[in-house]
Amino acid sequence: MSRREGSLEDPQADSSVSLLPHLEAKIRQTHSLAHLLTKYAEQLLQEYVQHQGDPFGLPGFSPPRLPVAGLSAPAPSHAGLPLPERLRLDAAALAALPPLLDAVRRRQAELNPRAPRLLRHLEDAARQARALGAAVETVLAALGAAARGPRPEPPAAAAVAATAAGVFPAKVLGLRVCGLYREWVSRTEGDLGQLVSGGPA
Amino acid sequence: MPAGRPGPAAQSARRPPPVLPLLLLCVLGAPRAGSGAHTAVISPQDPTLLIGSSLQATCSVHGDPTGATAEGLYWTLNGRRLAPELSRVLNTSTLALVLANLNGSRQQSGDNLVCHARDGSILAGSCLYVGLPPEKPFNISCWSKNMKDLTCRWTPGAHGETFLHTNYSLKYKLRWYGQDNTCEEYHTVGPHSCHIPKDLALFTPYEIWVEATNRLGSARSDVLTLDILDVVTTDPPPDVHVSRVGGLEDQLSVRWVSPPALKDFLFQAKYQIRYRVEDSVDWKVVDDVSNQTSCRLAGLKPGTVYFVQVRCNPFGIYGSKKAGIWSEWSHPTAASTPRSERPGPGGGACEPRGGEPSSGPVRRELKQFLGWLKKHAYCSNLSFRLYDQWRAWMQKSHKTRNQDEGILPSGRRGTARGPAR
Repeated sequence: MSRREGSLEDPQADSSVSLLPHLEAKIRQTHSLAHLLTKYAEQLLQEYVQHQGDPFGLPGFSPPRLPVAGLSAPAPSHAGLPLPERLRLDAAALAALPPLLDAVRRRQAELNPRAPRLLRHLEDAARQARALGAAVETVLAALGAAARGPRPEPPAAAAVAATAAGVFPAKVLGLRVCGLYREWVSRTEGDLGQLVSGGPA
Repeated sequence: MPAGRPGPAAQSARRPPPVLPLLLLCVLGAPRAGSGAHTAVISPQDPTLLIGSSLQATCSVHGDPTGATAEGLYWTLNGRRLAPELSRVLNTSTLALVLANLNGSRQQSGDNLVCHARDGSILAGSCLYVGLPPEKPFNISCWSKNMKDLTCRWTPGAHGETFLHTNYSLKYKLRWYGQDNTCEEYHTVGPHSCHIPKDLALFTPYEIWVEATNRLGSARSDVLTLDILDVVTTDPPPDVHVSRVGGLEDQLSVRWVSPPALKDFLFQAKYQIRYRVEDSVDWKVVDDVSNQTSCRLAGLKPGTVYFVQVRCNPFGIYGSKKAGIWSEWSHPTAASTPRSERPGPGGGACEPRGGEPSSGPVRRELKQFLGWLKKHAYCSNLSFRLYDQWRAWMQKSHKTRNQDEGILPSGRRGTARGPAR
């Protein structure tokens, strides 16, 4: 469209200008999806730790927060960024998560072959992250705030799959990935919530 | 000592770690941002051990020696701190651990043995797999649905508790030729089952066995030899109908259809009927309903709802001499017997329709009497149908008598033409 209403890029825009109804609906829908996936991500994390055995499920368990290829946790400064930038970071993280979740699922298929629910939920999480990421990008594009230039490719599944030298590090890595999934979905929900409420960019 | 061959993983051998691609960073012990840059390695990594055996492990700290030494390190196993007397300092950077008489692993993914720094932070981890090699699976039983497939079930040896993930593989081959095949659809009728959906030969025996494998070894069941035709089952009979027999208060008629999948082959099917009173859990079973698709239940309680089910055994299919396998029971079908003021007799037996003699002694004697009458009294119209009609008439008469307080019904006696009203 040649004229945007309620553009995120214009900080001077009157926040009371109503968005096109269908765009508004899309934003609400995406926010609702993020809200639902935040709950699922929390459940996935709980289910994951149960299958790794203690101390993974114990209160106070604090393994090293290992860096994961191609993805880090939301920075403390994330909340202070402009909304479009936050949503772009959300979309990028959601695009990076599926191959990581797939790698975790493959490793868990070896470690916990008799946990079909966990394996299915890991598979679902990869699909859900992909769906939410695509929805956020659609919203960004509709608002004229899509990322400029090609997005860097997420780590190849094969490279991610050839992970941890030992079983314990693999368990810790899986925990880290599930934790990142929860953090980014929750972060996305928060950022979209601000868009829904029409807060200042 | 459990049976089964010890496998190559029985020794707690340590495999060299794979080369990590540049994109990856996940071996525990990588320097933490802003930390004192010390790491540790546990040896052995992910050992597999027999229940009751011992483990000797070490936690070796690398990196800045001033920041971390073996003093102050401690171990946890599955989140529980291990007693200090189980550990000893080998040198400034290595803490050793001895665990004796190990119990079976608590979880499939391995017991978590962790080396901690003095402040409780995790320096390294290793997963222990403690269990038993599999025992020989046994009690294999198989059945074929309508000769199209084969499903087998087995019992794992030692009730399956090896404390390690044990993989079961059902294998089969034609007895005198052919290669080994592996079943692919598992857990179809329980955790230890497999389904072979197609490409099965008839009239030639198969050999079937189960192989169990885990980190500590493998075991193989005895071979079961069978012909598909000897283990055929089928679907429950469809279209089961239960209805009253006129006004007879103690009988119900049951009719069904031969299972359609085998209708062209089912020359000698056997059927079984079971029935129960509506609010009872006790089924009565009627056996020996041979090769017919109807039956009459007699001796039932009047004014009572009955649930009835039928099942089929396709024995003797294509000349098989084996017993065949009963199908599942059909869905329950309900019907009620007519009400009566007289208490009805208990128990019941199946009587075929069409007036054939039943197995009850009274009716047997009656049949003999009727047969004699036909020969000696020229009563060609005598039959069980007439007898049943007479019984229905008697019951109605009894009701009328009770209502009219003693007035006798009119009617003829002693003829074969039955009651007239």
